[in-house]
Amino acid sequence: MAILDIKQLTKTYGNGELALDRVDITVDVPEVVALLGLSGSGKSTLLRCVNRLVEPTSGTVMLDGTDIGKLNPSALRRARARMGMIFQEFNLIDRLTVLENVLSGTLGVTPTWRGILRAFPRDAIKRALDICERVGILDHVTKRADQLSGGQRQRVGIARALMQSPRILLVDEPTSSLDPKIGREVMGLLAAIAREAGVPMIVSVHDVFLAKSYSDRIIGLQAGSIIFDQRTSDVEADSLDRIYQAAS
Amino acid sequence: MPASDQILLSNPLRDPRTIVRRYLAIAAGLLLISWMVKDVVIDEVDWKRLGGTAELLKTLSYFVPDWTFFPQIVRPLLETLLMAFWGTLLAVCLAMPVAFMAARNITPHRWVTYPIGRALIVLSRSTHEVIFALIYVAALGLGPLPGILALASRSLGFVAKTTAEAIENVNRGPIEAMEAAGASPLAVFLYAVMPQVMPAFAGNVIFSLEINLRRASILGLVGAGGIGYVFAEAMQSLQYDRVGTIVIGLIGLVVAGEFISNRVRARIL
Repeated sequence: MAILDIKQLTKTYGNGELALDRVDITVDVPEVVALLGLSGSGKSTLLRCVNRLVEPTSGTVMLDGTDIGKLNPSALRRARARMGMIFQEFNLIDRLTVLENVLSGTLGVTPTWRGILRAFPRDAIKRALDICERVGILDHVTKRADQLSGGQRQRVGIARALMQSPRILLVDEPTSSLDPKIGREVMGLLAAIAREAGVPMIVSVHDVFLAKSYSDRIIGLQAGSIIFDQRTSDVEADSLDRIYQAAS
Repeated sequence: MPASDQILLSNPLRDPRTIVRRYLAIAAGLLLISWMVKDVVIDEVDWKRLGGTAELLKTLSYFVPDWTFFPQIVRPLLETLLMAFWGTLLAVCLAMPVAFMAARNITPHRWVTYPIGRALIVLSRSTHEVIFALIYVAALGLGPLPGILALASRSLGFVAKTTAEAIENVNRGPIEAMEAAGASPLAVFLYAVMPQVMPAFAGNVIFSLEINLRRASILGLVGAGGIGYVFAEAMQSLQYDRVGTIVIGLIGLVVAGEFISNRVRARIL
């Protein structure tokens, strides 16, 4: 059984814009899949259709045999609790500490009163600290999130997603708000962590170099359609060129 | 001729029509101001009755504070402070559900609850605290309770409006992240919305407390408790030295209030 099975996924926004057009993707093994395409090619929409932050217009998304589209709100929250998402703008809660931000990743499975009182189980705090150490922010756990640099903030975002013990990582333009050097570090960390955790990671990027350096497989998107889906080692220059044709 | 030269020739920054309109507007403004000065300041003030400098100083001397009266205003001053405190606290409690209804992005219903929230805010903000106090005194009798209710009714609108605006301006990012992690709606609100709203909310509550302290000091004029009642009594019995004491006491209270609220605000923000 495939880990992730997307069939005929289509999304039309309210303004009539066709963001995804009958997309099929199957992920059978834990691998790093790069979604490559220009802005507006549907990368973010595709990621958000997997956890239904964006409601698909038609088509199915199966994760570990569960049809995500058929879940009621509380079942959807339970399913989302096992999907780690990482964002371009980090989406941290600025006024809370790094540790609180990391622990907020468990809010899907922690009773709300524990979240309010900050009474997280001891083993959750222990795990949060271990994860902070792994992503290199252990020295900053008591600082407020808005006191960190961009690269450190994205590491907090990664830690928060790992805190969910995710079955899949959905990563949306993780390096677009960072400078190139920090971006490569963050991308390398993400790829390493996905492999350590043994989970698939779908990461949208618009930088060909990052896609080729850190992924096992590249899916090219153009105007909501898949134009190629290949092992990274097999991707040829002209298929990459086709993605950027629209721009030239 | 190049296009830029043509623009240069027509000189868009000094278009004659714009200039004429601007000078006409200034002239109209000056005319209006001079009419107001003539009507209110020149015609309506009885300059003869004001008398000379000596007479002015003599009148002022009536207000030299009588410090033996001070012990008698300590309790009313304290009552004024407590009225401001309870009035603000009550306003904050009542403003929470109103702000929730009046924030466009979280209101339960666009055509039912949103207009109700907005209407309550307008009602509260457009009615003077003395009007509220008169209504509550008529309903509940004299004393600080109608004053507290009047202050609460008056500042409810301000607290609810600024809180609703803060909720409308929250950054969607953290909300999206909490939803993506499977957090419940309550947890999303407490983790992603509240921390963003808190600084503005706390600042506005402190600001309301400061204003309510000033408002509380006059509500006694209509029998709604606080220092205003003592003030009205002294004024009516022409005991201007007592009025002077009360004014000094009030200034002290307001300045102390402002000092403390500035300290607290610097701490929070």
